[in-house]
Amino acid sequence: MLTRIWLTYKHHRFETIAILAVCLGVAVAALIEAFRLNSMNVPFHCFQDYRGPYYPGPGQPVPDAATLKCNSLVEGFQGILQGVDMSLVRGLLVFAPILAGIIVGAPLVAREIEQGTAPLSWSLSGSRRRWLLGKVLAGILLLVPMMLAVGFAADILQGADSPGLNVHAAFESYASRGVIDVFWALAAFAGTFALGTMLGRTLPAIILALVVCFFVRVAWEPAMNHYVLWSFAKSNPPLTINGYFFGQVDIPLYEKSYIDGKEATSDEVQAWYIRNEPAIDAPTPDPNATPNPSASSAPGQVVPVVPAQPPADLAFPNYVSYGIPGAWYWNVVALESGILLAGSVFLGAIAFVWVDRRRPY
Amino acid sequence: MGSDAGASFAPAAASAALVAHGLSKRFKKKVALDAVDLQVPAGSVTALVGPNGAGKTTLIRVCMAFERPNSGRVAVDGVDPWKHRSEALRRVGYVPQTPAVYRGLSVEDHLSMARSLHSGFDSEIARRRLDQLGIPLDQRADTLSGGQAAQLGLAVALGTRARILLLDEPLANLDPLARREFIQVLLDAVRTEGSTALLSSHIVTDVEDACDRLVILGGGKVRLDCPLEEARRAHRLTEIDAPPPGATAIGSFLGKGGQKVMMLWKLEAGDGAEPAGAPAGESASLEDVVLGYLAAGRGTAGLQLN
Repeated sequence: MLTRIWLTYKHHRFETIAILAVCLGVAVAALIEAFRLNSMNVPFHCFQDYRGPYYPGPGQPVPDAATLKCNSLVEGFQGILQGVDMSLVRGLLVFAPILAGIIVGAPLVAREIEQGTAPLSWSLSGSRRRWLLGKVLAGILLLVPMMLAVGFAADILQGADSPGLNVHAAFESYASRGVIDVFWALAAFAGTFALGTMLGRTLPAIILALVVCFFVRVAWEPAMNHYVLWSFAKSNPPLTINGYFFGQVDIPLYEKSYIDGKEATSDEVQAWYIRNEPAIDAPTPDPNATPNPSASSAPGQVVPVVPAQPPADLAFPNYVSYGIPGAWYWNVVALESGILLAGSVFLGAIAFVWVDRRRPY
Repeated sequence: MGSDAGASFAPAAASAALVAHGLSKRFKKKVALDAVDLQVPAGSVTALVGPNGAGKTTLIRVCMAFERPNSGRVAVDGVDPWKHRSEALRRVGYVPQTPAVYRGLSVEDHLSMARSLHSGFDSEIARRRLDQLGIPLDQRADTLSGGQAAQLGLAVALGTRARILLLDEPLANLDPLARREFIQVLLDAVRTEGSTALLSSHIVTDVEDACDRLVILGGGKVRLDCPLEEARRAHRLTEIDAPPPGATAIGSFLGKGGQKVMMLWKLEAGDGAEPAGAPAGESASLEDVVLGYLAAGRGTAGLQLN
């Protein structure tokens, strides 16, 4: 079996080298970007105190040196995040598993049929399934370590991108980092080699797989949220807002509205707002407000008008979010990986059945 | 036996390495094999001759379980390849028409792959054959000449030590020298191992010296199935209007030079014995026999001169 795996790599050397180069390249690029972000050494409080890129603005008091340094550090950090190289690396991190799976999977059987070597192999092997197993193992052994490298590099980049975020307890970009990358690659691989087995042509298999995988990838998260995670969210307690402002910790799936402690429909909420509109919109002088010298310099304006505030006794409708808390990260990753793995096994099984029935030319 | 004139020849050997009975294969409306009955005796080198599209490749592909027959049965060394593929293929060495080599893999890699796929593969046999032909093992297979690639295919097939060798027009793309070398290696191997070979070709002269049995396939039917010598002895060639006494007309075709229409006759003593009295006409060459039966298969009208 080892000989066959080695010869599979040798026969598909272009794909093998391309996958090694691209995956390691993407992983190293992600680590370099993470290193650049980390090397900024931005203290966490600077993010909280960040005043924007043009701080201090005209007319604003000049802050102290520490605040200015903080602001410029965050600006540098944001600059790296918004750079072209970072966008490119992030894009590659999302699509690298799928592309790798397609590139490895498409020629696995199709090239043998195209180049006329399948009759030779199949006449020698007797069992086509055993022959295919050797090739599939070669693909898996190439993809798994490469995707682990890419996935972990993506995790590290996410950690650097969102300071203080526990990437294994938060759902920010969770479907394109970590171990789930391995399963994306395996699903694309299985689907593509099944297509290659059925079509017997490499290029059509690649094109078809690209189209299908693109739509599956785009639809994945909405579909998972709607069809799978929704049912878990219903049995969960409401999400608690933790006030963290970097990245998505939880997956909020739906909200419920409450008026005076009772669950209300959207129509009831709308009716409440219509009923209370005059009270909400009426500008109210704020007895605690202090004049702000920078707010307006118009002569004669003594009492500043503050934004509308409802009367203190007005109880607004209360919105409560339900969803999947960040603490469920591993459960969700395991669930989605399992679904992708089941899909891979199903598609692989189609290929194994098909290869036994198809002509070798 | 075939359904036409040649059907009266009895099988040469009771123990057959390859048997087809009522074998039919259709591709949509095209009939590739039409109720083919065939027995290839064990230890023989049988030529499977016919024009392009006669069904030679389809017959071999059915034996290799690459194609499923629509009806009929085939047995390779007693095993139905479609029902027991692994078992059947263990008994068969296959050489395809176009030398199938893996691009980027060396000759040695091909032997390694064959060994990893076929438990009984003997690399030494293959290596020895290639060594005799001066084919370097470390050479990339896609840089081999057509003849060398065909020899590699044959060496791999021989390395399996299969009882039956199925060779699907392996000579078609080879130059005359490469053809002769190929045939020689094949014959040496068959004699040494005592195996059976079915060698398909549409060029009669290629197989004339190598084979001891002839099967003519035309339009998906077996036109003739007999020992090679018998095929030569039992036929006469005359001009169309000069039949030998007591002979059966087989088919007419343009003679050499394209000036005369010649008729192939089968002598009554179809068992190969020389008939009493000197039959009229000249001895038919193997090519004449093949042309006569193929003309019979497709109807003579298209071959006659006005």
